[in-house]
Amino acid sequence: MPNIICCFKWVVDEAYIKPSSSGKIDLEWAEYKLSDYDRNAIEEAVQLQEKYGGSVTAVTVASSDATKGIKDALSRGPEKAYFINDDQFENLEPSQTSAILAKVIGDQIDYDLIICGEGSSDMYSQQVGPRLAEKLGIPCIAFVNQLTIEDNRIIAERKTDDGLEVISAPLPALVTVLPDINSPRVPGLKDTLAASKKPVIEIDLEDLGSEYERLLIDEGLRAASMERNCSRFGAGPEDIKAFVEAVRKTGVIDRG
Amino acid sequence: MDFKLTEEQELIRDNMREFARTYVDPVAVEIDENSRYPEEVIKKLADGGWLGMPFPAEYGGAGVDYLTYAIAVEELSRSCAATGFTMSVHTGLACGPIALYGSDEQKKKYLTPMAKGEHLGAFALTEPGAGTDVGAATSTAVLDGDEYVLNGVKTFTSNGPVANTYVTFAWTDKNDKRNGMSAFIVSRETPGLSVGEHFMKMGIRASQTSEIIFKDCRIPKDNLLGKVGDGMKIAMACFDHGRIGIAAQAVGIAQAALDESISYSKQRVQFGKPISKNQAIQWMIADMYTDITAGRFLYYYAAYLKDQGLPFSKEASMAKVFCAEMCSKHASKAVQIHGGYGYCKGQKVERLMRDAKITEIYEGTSEAQRMVIAGNVLR
Amino acid sequence: MSGVWIYADKYEQGVELLTAGRGVADMLGMKLTALVSGDNNIAQDFIARGADEVLLLPPLTESQPVQDYVPLMADEARDADPDVFLIAASLKGKEMAARIAARLDTALCSECSAMNIDEKGKLQMERLMYGGAAIQTVSISSRPQMATIPPRSYEAAPVQSDRQGNIKTLESPEPSGMQVMERKGKAQASGDITAARIIVCAGRGIENQEDLAMVRELAEVLGGEVACTRPISEEKHWMTEESCIGLSAKEVKPALYLGIGVSGQIQHVVGIREAGIICAVNSDENAPIFESADYGITGDLYQIVPALIEEFKK
Ligand SMILES: Cc1cc2nc3c(=O)[nH]c(=O)nc-3n(C[C@H](O)[C@H](O)[C@H](O)COP(=O)(O)OP(=O)(O)OC[C@H]3O[C@@H](n4cnc5c(N)ncnc54)[C@H](O)[C@@H]3O)c2cc1C
Ligand SMILES: Cc1cc2nc3c(=O)[nH]c(=O)nc-3n(C[C@H](O)[C@H](O)[C@H](O)COP(=O)(O)OP(=O)(O)OC[C@H]3O[C@@H](n4cnc5c(N)ncnc54)[C@H](O)[C@@H]3O)c2cc1C
Repeated sequence: MPNIICCFKWVVDEAYIKPSSSGKIDLEWAEYKLSDYDRNAIEEAVQLQEKYGGSVTAVTVASSDATKGIKDALSRGPEKAYFINDDQFENLEPSQTSAILAKVIGDQIDYDLIICGEGSSDMYSQQVGPRLAEKLGIPCIAFVNQLTIEDNRIIAERKTDDGLEVISAPLPALVTVLPDINSPRVPGLKDTLAASKKPVIEIDLEDLGSEYERLLIDEGLRAASMERNCSRFGAGPEDIKAFVEAVRKTGVIDRG
Repeated sequence: MDFKLTEEQELIRDNMREFARTYVDPVAVEIDENSRYPEEVIKKLADGGWLGMPFPAEYGGAGVDYLTYAIAVEELSRSCAATGFTMSVHTGLACGPIALYGSDEQKKKYLTPMAKGEHLGAFALTEPGAGTDVGAATSTAVLDGDEYVLNGVKTFTSNGPVANTYVTFAWTDKNDKRNGMSAFIVSRETPGLSVGEHFMKMGIRASQTSEIIFKDCRIPKDNLLGKVGDGMKIAMACFDHGRIGIAAQAVGIAQAALDESISYSKQRVQFGKPISKNQAIQWMIADMYTDITAGRFLYYYAAYLKDQGLPFSKEASMAKVFCAEMCSKHASKAVQIHGGYGYCKGQKVERLMRDAKITEIYEGTSEAQRMVIAGNVLR
Repeated sequence: MSGVWIYADKYEQGVELLTAGRGVADMLGMKLTALVSGDNNIAQDFIARGADEVLLLPPLTESQPVQDYVPLMADEARDADPDVFLIAASLKGKEMAARIAARLDTALCSECSAMNIDEKGKLQMERLMYGGAAIQTVSISSRPQMATIPPRSYEAAPVQSDRQGNIKTLESPEPSGMQVMERKGKAQASGDITAARIIVCAGRGIENQEDLAMVRELAEVLGGEVACTRPISEEKHWMTEESCIGLSAKEVKPALYLGIGVSGQIQHVVGIREAGIICAVNSDENAPIFESADYGITGDLYQIVPALIEEFKK
């Protein structure tokens, strides 16, 4: 009966990201959401628990106002959460996040398996999972598509550039999961209500007792402009002709 | 004073949004076109615990406040007004009176399966000759031994064709216009109850509407809801809180109209620039946004009063009439912004405009709301 | 010690990184070291293509994953203390880079899209954020400065005559507890979309797998390749991920991109940013793809694609 940890991040919803007139990114009105692939991580943990028993604990490192994120994660099935938060935990880089997670998980949580999303939908650095495994000194299988547990080992199908590898590793281990591993459930009303009553263990920077130095220096952020001036065509035969004509005129099509 | 929803309310709103996007958006066009009852969606609502939101857990509900429930109706209606209304009629008008006036017995037997979403409810008050004028009803209920015998025809019964449980109204004393009407709970399978043809409507076409006909329909005496003669009082109480649901539904439709208008006006280019660069379009959008926000706070306020146990009848009517009328107006403006395309099938605003109108009619017309408000103000 | 290091788990990406690494090493006046798994011939080839030194990773057993090199590579890097360490951003490479960075307690710029060297000799690296809506510039204050480099960001380094270099063979890595039980190749993709001049991209607007034939025909008429969005490759599995364009897939630079039933979410559109002309067919007038397109047709693809095939044939 595995004790499973799933890690999640509370991120800016990219739907709210709009470049300001100066080309800067304006986040003042942004809403937050549970990072997309972390939904798959939580779902996978919960499905494994449904299959093998054991427990599911959700863990996040976040700034202290991410309390809604905790409820959101808990509404998706985990039975308790570790909320490692501090006002200073704003825009942490992967090395910091993974070191903090490693400290708390290593010192305080009994686990057999850790599941992370393959990357977060804001930074998409895809580093926290593998780094965390290293810090804990456990095997890591990234980009996992399919996951089973057998005789105290995990068997994971992971994606590679050439296809797939089926890898087995002894527990405890860490995996990062791809979105096609499952379809996350939509939490029902009662799941949300139950979430508020589940235990949340709060840990702040002082409790951690160490400093987490910044190594990745932010040298600037600008909006990526992708706007083009679209000429519109309808669906009628004349439109199709005009469209093809316009595309031909650009000279991108070799005739012959 | 605090204008912020709690985190839990926000999450419930977000989850309903996710629900609607996942399960309702993909079918919304088709169920409108075919006037089809989306049984599979209603089943999913039931599974998610959305069909008994404001009722106590001991009767199968989720025990959230009425405000949270209304917010969920808004979000659902933003994807599909008909599905939002199905939920709202079931919750506000069918479960509502049993929760408020039912005996413990009745709550166990009828409310519990309804709040769990296993049974769907309907509310049959209106009659062919009795719309706004509820007192013009002719249905009767005569006590015969241990049974009431119902006779009469109800019309415009939403969820009528698909409900398991009906709350209905009939005269127990025809001569007493004030206290002669009583309310009853009737099960679908009761002999003597028949369901008419599903009406083809302009909007909310996926909501099923029909006549309910009682012909010597015998129901147990125990199915009397409240006391003999409480009918009118119960009907009015239902409308009071039901109207908050309709106001929320109207805000949901209007919000969808705004969503569509914003994205379309930024895309559509005329005279070499997006139409959103024209002040005329900007003003329409500014007015929409303003009215939607005002409407939302009106229904939040009515729900808040109800949740506090304070009188809210006038506020519910204010929210209903304001939200319904601004919804109709702005759904029409949204079509205006979409030009000819907005008038054609395939654009969501075409459906929104058809759906919007009903919010001014059912659960008391706009005129009826103004009567309530004026009656209160001029007291 | 100083120097620039590179590693790729695949040969093609290795020779691309030689170009990247050589550039950085020359600007910094440093030596270029390549970590290569294979034999002496490959080591010589890397030297001929620009490496000053090759650290040869000995072969693994059949059941050892390539990630077993991680401890070895980290130990070597700790001893040699290079200034810069670039790793190819293949799926395995990204995982290995993160793990090596963790072992070396250094930062890593993931999927660096542009690299410059400032006056202090520090790398200024760009990467995409928020699903591609923003570009962030970062530098790294620790050693080595690490980055993963997406495939095809650089040309393969050419062979030059009479280049000399050292080859040092490393010790075989200890097997970890991980075992590869099976490797499955993927179905051969039709063509390489990253090299294609014309791309027709299939999105979820396509209802049935059979209907892809129509899209293929259009691509054939245009003399291009067929690509797809993530739902087509990852959810429906109608095409391989080799054909998928976007943030978590391939970046393409065709002269012409034509999206069929593609909504144009940011995560997809970042992959076509460099395309010459972007065209789109979508039935939803509000689809975001039209914001990033040069020419757009609003309408049902089932009607329009056949019409386009006819018209382009003329
Ligand atoms: C889609 C739909 C669903 C419905 N669902 C239900 C349901 O589930 N259960 C149920 O019981 N009923 C339901 N109804 C009935 C609905 O509540 C009535 O249609 C509504 O109350 C109006 O009644 P009426 O249609 O008979 O109009 P009338 O009462 O005939 O009104 C016609 C017009 O006259 C106005 N008017 C009437 N009296 C006055 C007055 N004194 N002063 C000024 N103006 C006045 C009205 O405002 C309206 O403009 C539904 C109706 C529809 C269309
Ligand atoms: C971190 C992250 C990374 C991601 N990476 C990628 C990535 O690398 N690549 C990628 O593609 N996606 C990626 N995604 C997913 C991305 O957000 C979108 O979900 C995806 O690109 C949408 O694919 P689509 O356009 O095919 O489908 P949809 O968004 O479903 O769009 C289908 C479109 O087809 C149109 N349509 C439907 N029927 C017709 C018809 N008959 N005629 C014409 N048009 C029709 C519809 O109007 C709609 O616009 C990523 C997401 C995240 C969170």
